[in-house]
Amino acid sequence: MKRFLLTFGLVAVAAISAACSTAAAQPAPSGPVDPNGPTIVAKDMAFAPATVEIAAGKNVTIHFDNQDSAPHNVAIYKDASASEKISVGEIVSSKKVDQVVPALAAGTYFFRCDVHTNMTGSIVVK
Amino acid sequence: MTPRSSLRPLDVIIRIAIVGLTLGTAYIHSTLGGLLFTLNATGYVVAALAIVIPLGLAIRFRWFIRLGLMGYAATAIIAWAITGPYYTTAYIAKAIEVALITLLAIDFARMDGNPINVIKSELGLLSSKLGRRPATGQAGA
Repeated sequence: MKRFLLTFGLVAVAAISAACSTAAAQPAPSGPVDPNGPTIVAKDMAFAPATVEIAAGKNVTIHFDNQDSAPHNVAIYKDASASEKISVGEIVSSKKVDQVVPALAAGTYFFRCDVHTNMTGSIVVK
Repeated sequence: MTPRSSLRPLDVIIRIAIVGLTLGTAYIHSTLGGLLFTLNATGYVVAALAIVIPLGLAIRFRWFIRLGLMGYAATAIIAWAITGPYYTTAYIAKAIEVALITLLAIDFARMDGNPINVIKSELGLLSSKLGRRPATGQAGA
């Protein structure tokens, strides 16, 4: 029985440790930041607009307005595989937050809510 | 160890704590929105009910409900550890689930004994029934 309890305990500790070790902090972008970035609204479990445009080569502030009581964030990745993080915003409920996105090269980037990964959108950098 | 059906005061306290923790994590999941989290919350509510309901069938298979709820919570923890997201509410929910698994394991040990022996006994009972041979089986409350 002790072995049974120990096994469950070790699995739980390992799972929590693995989760903690993957939560890495992002470096703050250096240089001036354009405060007039687009606003992304989360409402009824969807982003609006689902596609936003920002200027290439400039740090920009994205304004995120979560109108749902459910928690959401704007997590920007290089592409839909979500393997390469660019900017991961704070997870909030019924709240507005600003998020500084580092200067990006021209192209189309993927964003999603990290809590509800079916909530997705695109950032077009021109 | 023979499974027992009578509840001692400490058993009642443990069972209340299990129900509280199960409903706690159910509530957190119900606030997250989306079908997956809602189903997860519903599963926890059903499990909380099953762990205490005084129905003969539930009492007979309480050992299975305990193991099932432990597996359910462990699956939720592992799935979260793999996919995230890692933020305060998630850490609270997972801490509750770890505590829940621990209490369920303690409850199992107190009421049913060694899980391997219980499963062997139940499988023996099942094979006896399938073979139409008389057999005896017991389960904790």
